[in-house]
Amino acid sequence: MKPIFPLACLLLPAALAAADSADYTESFDTLYNSLTVQKTGSVVELRARSRRGEALESAVDLSDPLRLVVGYTQTLYAGLLFQPKPARVLMIGLGGAGFHRLFTAAYPTALLQTVELDPTVLELCESRLAFKPTAQTPVTLMDGRVFVKRDQGKWDWLILDAFRGGYVPPHLKTEEFYRECAARLTDRGVFISNLHMGTELFYSDIKTIEAVFPQVVLFQTTGRGNVIACAVKYRAPDITDPGKWPEVATLMEPAFAGHLDLAKVRGERMVEPWADVLHARVLTDDFSPVEFLDTVKTNDTKER
Amino acid sequence: MSFLAFYTVVVTLGVLSMGFQLLASRLLSPHFGSSIIVWAWLISTFLAAFSSGSMLGGWISNLAAERRHRAQVTGAALAVISLAVTAGFGRPILDWIEVAFLDVGTALLVSCALLFFVPVTALSSFGPQCVQYLAARDTPPGKASGIVYGVSTLGNIAGVMLTAFALIPHFRVSALLYGWLAVAVLSLAALLHLLRAPASP
Repeated sequence: MKPIFPLACLLLPAALAAADSADYTESFDTLYNSLTVQKTGSVVELRARSRRGEALESAVDLSDPLRLVVGYTQTLYAGLLFQPKPARVLMIGLGGAGFHRLFTAAYPTALLQTVELDPTVLELCESRLAFKPTAQTPVTLMDGRVFVKRDQGKWDWLILDAFRGGYVPPHLKTEEFYRECAARLTDRGVFISNLHMGTELFYSDIKTIEAVFPQVVLFQTTGRGNVIACAVKYRAPDITDPGKWPEVATLMEPAFAGHLDLAKVRGERMVEPWADVLHARVLTDDFSPVEFLDTVKTNDTKER
Repeated sequence: MSFLAFYTVVVTLGVLSMGFQLLASRLLSPHFGSSIIVWAWLISTFLAAFSSGSMLGGWISNLAAERRHRAQVTGAALAVISLAVTAGFGRPILDWIEVAFLDVGTALLVSCALLFFVPVTALSSFGPQCVQYLAARDTPPGKASGIVYGVSTLGNIAGVMLTAFALIPHFRVSALLYGWLAVAVLSLAALLHLLRAPASP
């Protein structure tokens, strides 16, 4: 017991300093989440409390709104390698709208439709994270799957980034749902999903996506446990050969300058963990023990 | 021995009722999500079924012997048939409801009423009859009621924990629904047999 007091004495000033450095920290218990909003300088972070602690959902730099503060939001732009002209984008999960600002600056005429289940998340985006939905960036408050089922549109990008307290609801992880998503993609559309490494769920995620989409390419966000899966519903042309991907320079938009390093994103491509995926089970509406698989740690336990 | 069988059946019915609620949530979520709206309808449906079943069971337990036996067999048959419908046709029925009712609240009301209300009502109707069973065998009515609902609630807890932590992680929901059907057939058959046995003089 003795070492605890000196250790506490050492850590306390650091903890107090961290708390002091924040301009404000607010907590919100919503219908679906326990959220923390913290502003430090010009950066506002949106975190969801979960059994793993607080998961950083999104962050925005109010002094430079185009800056992609959270690493995986850069990796989401890997979709450009497979569908370079995203005119219609559907995003399931609003978070702090960290992805939205740069996208609309780069593609001002594109439609970025977002579906969010939690009304408080939208309220916080508007009141704390300076995001205002527009005709180009409408937000619909609805379950993502119900929206996809009822939606009649076709999308160039369909981004799945829905989390509830650090995990994805099981019905947004199944083969049947991915088939519904595939049906809503344009012929050359790309399905983009934010996955988490570190548990058995990751391998089932990949196997389930591959059960629906003939071609899947994975990108691992540098320094984090996020993996962005890009999947398409066609077999040809081949998208898995990086040699056939468009040159990064041809994909650059003026707004990307200083905000998005597409060469780095391209370099984040990861080799699929074939051996582990081989033994994973495909998740279906009939069998989707997502919560259970998400508790089974793999040997690769990188920070999430 | 018959009391051991009796309490086993009471626990099993408790397991079936509440475990079924978790399976129901898995059945609904691909169609309507897993929002608080879904859970509100689901929990309300089960509570309405518990309420209706208790009142129905109370009425049945005071019928004359012959009519009571007929009502018990009818209740058990209703439970089994409605569970079979949910297990065999639950997904196609939900596919139809999803298209037929665009308002999510209405769709959930119809789904819960068609797939879950009847089997849970029928299962719950045996609670008061189990109380009557004990009361007719020298257990004071108040004590009999406390024992049956206490034991049944332990079954509810076991049903929730077993379903959440052991069954859903390892088995398909469709397989579990057929498992529920099989266990319901066996436990209701045993209970009907017990309820028909004459009380000791």
